[in-house]
Amino acid sequence: MTAPAIRLSGVCKNYGTHRAIDGVDLVVQPGEVACLIGPSGSGKSTLLRCMAFLEEHDDGLIEIAGDPLGFAPGENGRIRLPDREIARVRRSIGMVFQQFNLWPHRTALGNVSEALRFVLRLLRPAAERRAMAYLDRVGLADRAGHYPSQLSGGQQQRVAIARALALEPRIMLFDEPTSSLDPELTGEVLGVMRGLAADGMTMVIVTHEIGFAAHVAQHVVFLEQGRIALEGSASAVFRRPWNPRLARFLETYLDRGASMLIAPEQSDGA
Amino acid sequence: MTWAVLSLLLAGAGVTAAISVVSVIGGLLLGIAICGASLARSRALRGCAAVYVSFFRGVPLLVQLLLLYHALPRLGLDLPGIAAAVLGLTLCTAAYQAETLRGGFVNVPAGLIEAGRIVGMTARQIMLRVRAPIALRLTLPAVVNEAILILKASSLVSVVGVADLTRTAQNIASSNYRPIETFAAAGALYLLLNIVVGGAGAGLGRMVGRGR
Amino acid sequence: MNLELIRASIPEIIDGLGFTLLMWLPGSALALALGLLVAILRHYGGPALDRGLQALLGVLRGTPFLVQIFLLYYGGPFIGWDFDAPTAGLLGLSVYGAAYFAEIIRGGLAAVPRGHVEAAACVGMTRAQTLRRVLLPEMALLILPSTINMLIVLMKETAVLSIITVPELTAVITGIGSLHFAYAEAAFMLAVCYWGLTEATGLLGRGLERRLQRFRLA
Repeated sequence: MTAPAIRLSGVCKNYGTHRAIDGVDLVVQPGEVACLIGPSGSGKSTLLRCMAFLEEHDDGLIEIAGDPLGFAPGENGRIRLPDREIARVRRSIGMVFQQFNLWPHRTALGNVSEALRFVLRLLRPAAERRAMAYLDRVGLADRAGHYPSQLSGGQQQRVAIARALALEPRIMLFDEPTSSLDPELTGEVLGVMRGLAADGMTMVIVTHEIGFAAHVAQHVVFLEQGRIALEGSASAVFRRPWNPRLARFLETYLDRGASMLIAPEQSDGA
Repeated sequence: MTWAVLSLLLAGAGVTAAISVVSVIGGLLLGIAICGASLARSRALRGCAAVYVSFFRGVPLLVQLLLLYHALPRLGLDLPGIAAAVLGLTLCTAAYQAETLRGGFVNVPAGLIEAGRIVGMTARQIMLRVRAPIALRLTLPAVVNEAILILKASSLVSVVGVADLTRTAQNIASSNYRPIETFAAAGALYLLLNIVVGGAGAGLGRMVGRGR
Repeated sequence: MNLELIRASIPEIIDGLGFTLLMWLPGSALALALGLLVAILRHYGGPALDRGLQALLGVLRGTPFLVQIFLLYYGGPFIGWDFDAPTAGLLGLSVYGAAYFAEIIRGGLAAVPRGHVEAAACVGMTRAQTLRRVLLPEMALLILPSTINMLIVLMKETAVLSIITVPELTAVITGIGSLHFAYAEAAFMLAVCYWGLTEATGLLGRGLERRLQRFRLA
């Protein structure tokens, strides 16, 4: 039995006295697509950022493919791992941000090839060849020479996905990848993500696209106040007997995709 | 540092403060006029304003002061040093303040002006009752900043013979041969004046800010 | 106006212009380098160092350049810094400019979106790589307008060095003016030289900004 792609046990994160993540246990298997959903302030983005060690968890253990991320259990409590080790473990992870976070002074190709050249130490031609392959994969080979300011939001986000993919991570984390896009641009980004899922990429996605979550995710996690309120397969979470808080949450998404999922005769249950 | 020296420096600081206050206020009034010209419909007026601003911001203040002090007497205008100093500082700061004010006017949100138009205000009323008060509020921090800059720039009036803080320190240093202590003390007094101006500006900001 | 005098003065004026440029350009480059160093020390150096540097910068920004130059030029020899006027001028201008550049650069570093740094961490860049490849270039773009503005300020401050007898433009031209009682001609020459320099710098700066426009996020 191989190690799970991600295992969280008892993870906590505090901001001052506020407990943003309150003892989360979660396992994501290799090849699985997991969606984190929940109301704003429920801690889903914070939890995802902990998985990339952008936020340092205050308690608990995070393992990426069996390796502890950031902190390892020691004799007297946990010990912080050296930066080099953190970087090594983090190499298994690709991250896509809500705000794209492309570097504005680099072209699309430059954004994708930057880390190939300066982190993986590939020579420029090799780095650019690989970068082009990944730009092609997100359908933007013809935009390689464009600067971020010359790309639409959807194109920028696809470049950001290519930048993460080019390092060939085992796990891709997406933090509300379509939330700052105009509605007509979300489709192209979700399409790329659907393709990744079909290829068997392990993905953890924080999203408000409930319809996308219902169709693509094998594993849905509903967070509330920093805790997992409900989790299971997409069908179990969206179609089975109702958790009233999840129902309330989904009612705020009464777009067509979500309302089809809420069966009226079940909504009085639980 | 004796009391006699300190009291001389304090007197110099008083001259510096007085020159700066008069120049900043004069510069604000002149700056408002220049800003008005730069927003005027007449092309000639706008051109004059642009040349004025570009010249007085483009040429070092020291050069402006030397010109006023040396060149004007040749034209029959014999200014005493202190008048040349105040005039020079005023003309220079007016250019900066005009530009700041113009930025304030241009940055008044278009929606607020449209709102004035919708309720039937005339162009003049909109200017006086909407744009000007908002622009003044937007530019107040920059004007306070300009006052601090002028306070420091006023040290240049020492070259036209005005006994300001810098000139006083220079005189003292050349007679007591202790330039380090003397100029350090002068620097400390400039810092003190800065703090006073900054404090006054913050107070003014609170007063104006009430209408927000 | 005595055009013949102006024509005859051109070689001298060119010498003065040379001194002005010699103070201005190396002085600005040193100021920028020193300011960058201070800003990076403040960024990474811990709170005690940060507060100390902040106080030092406050003193440098709160006092007139002329007083600083007097302190260095007339006070320096008392502690063994016996610089000639151009050296003192160059040093003084660099330190004075550095105080402003440090603040400009600090603001620029703070204005780089946090996410761009996080993205660098996520693709495995080290701190040094992130600084070199993301923070510094983005900061440089952000501070370009205020840097050009500061260059113009420093150019004008070089005129102050005439007071400590650096033979730059202002010293040379006012010298010619008082030697020949030709104040109108001197005024004209000074205005043309400095106005030309500031306008040219501003023009070059705006051109550069336009060329770099595409590197900016809307």
